Amino acid sequence: MSRQRIFSRNIVPFVASILLGLAAWHFGVIYFEVPGYVLPKPAAVWTALVDGLGRDPFSRASFLYHLGDTLKATVAGFVIGGLVGLVVAALMAESRLIEAAVLPYVVGLQSLPKVAIAPLLVIWFGYGSESKIAMSFVLTLFPVLINALSGFRSLPRDRLELMMSLRSSRWQIFRKVKLPGALPMIFAGLNIGIVYAMLGTIVSEFSGGQRGIGVIMMQMQAVSDTAGVFAALVVLGVTGYVLISSMRLLNRKLVFWMEEDEREDGI
Amino acid sequence: MTMNPAISAATAPLLTVRQLEKVYRTKAGDDVRALVDINIDLVDGEFVSVLGPSGCGKTTLLKILGGIVSHSAGELLFEGKPIAMAQRVMGVVFQSPVLLPWRTILDNVLLPIEVLGLDRGSYTAKARDLLDLVGLTGFDNKFPGELSGGMQQRASIVRALVHDPGILLMDEPFGALDALTRERMNVELQKIWLANQKTVFFITHSVSEAVFLSDRVLVMSARPGRIIEELRIDFPRPRSLDLMSSAEFGGITRHLRSCLGSHEGASE
Repeated sequence: MSRQRIFSRNIVPFVASILLGLAAWHFGVIYFEVPGYVLPKPAAVWTALVDGLGRDPFSRASFLYHLGDTLKATVAGFVIGGLVGLVVAALMAESRLIEAAVLPYVVGLQSLPKVAIAPLLVIWFGYGSESKIAMSFVLTLFPVLINALSGFRSLPRDRLELMMSLRSSRWQIFRKVKLPGALPMIFAGLNIGIVYAMLGTIVSEFSGGQRGIGVIMMQMQAVSDTAGVFAALVVLGVTGYVLISSMRLLNRKLVFWMEEDEREDGI
Repeated sequence: MTMNPAISAATAPLLTVRQLEKVYRTKAGDDVRALVDINIDLVDGEFVSVLGPSGCGKTTLLKILGGIVSHSAGELLFEGKPIAMAQRVMGVVFQSPVLLPWRTILDNVLLPIEVLGLDRGSYTAKARDLLDLVGLTGFDNKFPGELSGGMQQRASIVRALVHDPGILLMDEPFGALDALTRERMNVELQKIWLANQKTVFFITHSVSEAVFLSDRVLVMSARPGRIIEELRIDFPRPRSLDLMSSAEFGGITRHLRSCLGSHEGASE
């Protein structure tokens, strides 16, 4: 079946369900006489959205202004967390000693809901961007490290023997065979990581701060501007979708040798 | 079974294996003797096959020669020198092609050149010639996923030859192929070998394959593996598949099968 047909097969029910959903929402709110601060009408959300996006991007009232801040912290924390996770996983895969030293911490901290340390990070880093980046760093680190480690460890025996028959050095084995072979698992970790990075940033913003989507959501909630909160959620949703799609695109480009259905799901 | 007299000493052997042994320690703490008292001399340009039942240690022997596994006792010399020092010595073809799926065929085939730090430019032409020789012309820029099993295995043979090794080690390279492809690959391999005159150490389960391809056939016993028979194969080359139906060929394979059969686990 051609891509066009698959697309139109999917898009029609999708659009139809959105329109139906909006209609149900609109009439439901009217019929059940739901107060605006509990569940605003779709039209009110739309107004808040357009208003927020339309403001001067450098003013405090603009969604784009705050989104910029949230994105900066998300991406910064993601990149740093991703790099650190990769390097530590690589070292752990090469050295039993390092693995033995680090793994207990990883396993131990894995089950801790890391968002719970948000207040701690605020104490250490203050209310600015640093604590947001720290939070998104921490949340990215674990999935990337665990998946990358699994990927590095899963080097097939026959590839290793091939390299040994050529008397390769450890570094050659890592660069030519271990790392490319681990890319599917690494991307599994990165795909999870980008979602968590944004989550971490938002949670950190909830705990306090001057700028960011999470911050204005708190402010709007405080004045019962529920339509505004919904509008912010829409912005977040779209942003998240764009981030995830970008990761998926990068994944497809770099791991080009695997079929769509062969790509691995992460841990 | 007595050993036939060694090859005439007119040519010094390229590879010498003397009283080689391999012992594994199991998890339970026992010692398993995989190989015992292995003595082989490979002369330059010889094609030698090793036949043996499953588990007899022939793959272990190949891995020891290839520098993948260490030996427990005995000597291993290439041109008189211990093997670890002669890096360019071996080309290895495994049971499965082990091509890297993210590299093109050409890049895969040039892998040994990269690892050994040689100049890629000077070997590219040779790699292409070898690909022509094995019938993979025009597949330079394709990826392994686009090739059949037989084609991938042919590419892996090219990879094993590209750095001009002294010896080609082949571990049941055609075992995973269907019978027809396998016969065709035997003819291909003979063609490649005649063009290169490499010294080949070839492991197989197939008696007829061994006799078709080799100058000499060694038979190993079941574990602990030792060499129990050595036979010269004097048919002139190039050998055709028709040779396999001749009475003489049949006699040789019968003899080899009986050597294998008198120890457990023979196949074919």
